[in-house]
Amino acid sequence: MTDEDRHIDARLVALFTAPELTPDETFVARVERVLLAERKIARARQAAWRRFGVESLASASIVTTFYLLWRLSPELALDTMPIAPAAAAVLVLFLWFGVELRPAARS
Amino acid sequence: MDQDDELARRAAAGDAAAFTALVRRHEGAVRRFLGRLVRGDGADDLAQDVFVKAWRCAGDWRGEGSYRGWLLRIAWTVFLGSHRVKGRQARRDQMAFEQASAGSSDPGTTIDLSRALAMLDQRERAAALLCFGEGYSHSEAAQIMEIPLGTLKTIVARARTALAAHLEMGS
Repeated sequence: MTDEDRHIDARLVALFTAPELTPDETFVARVERVLLAERKIARARQAAWRRFGVESLASASIVTTFYLLWRLSPELALDTMPIAPAAAAVLVLFLWFGVELRPAARS
Repeated sequence: MDQDDELARRAAAGDAAAFTALVRRHEGAVRRFLGRLVRGDGADDLAQDVFVKAWRCAGDWRGEGSYRGWLLRIAWTVFLGSHRVKGRQARRDQMAFEQASAGSSDPGTTIDLSRALAMLDQRERAAALLCFGEGYSHSEAAQIMEIPLGTLKTIVARARTALAAHLEMGS
């Protein structure tokens, strides 16, 4: 770097350097609001995933239970139940979803 | 910068108040940098994105270098990822120019810094702002812009030549 470059650099630094201003509270408040919304969304998303996980597990448990019952004694199931156990499991799931998704349950 | 370290550690642990303090400490530099990069158009929106991203990635900060440098690296990334620059070259950021002029130690020099910056491409502008405006060394600026040191030096040299020519600083 030549002396002339250093001289130019010094002048550019003098031109570019801006004084530190006091914080712009309007902007700070704006970022705070966005971050608050961000945290709320993150919490809601986390809760939704947790609920989805629990309900998926419960659904899988019900289906597995009926499947195992059917595997253990298919004849008995056919004799005593008007519908197949797997179909019964699906009906139970529909009932469950119906209860869960009704407007009152969601509010 | 020790205060930044402490605040950044608390922010990484989820302390929103600590992060707000960091926003308060560095919003001026981030907005000034972005304002000069985009020449004012949408700079505050980009700065907001920078702080949201910084909050999301608060745990990624390792304490290497300054927190402001880390924020400016995010700002550069956000700037590159935005498409707001396109088609808006005509608009000028008078505020950035006034701030820059206010910091000038050479009030007799009547120059259009904003216009001079507009002559540079994005990388030259960013490098000039970091090295001349924010006082970062070449190596720090290279880290912020995530480019090799040699490349940064070449870019700064080009920017220096272009600015000097435009601002008639030569010998």
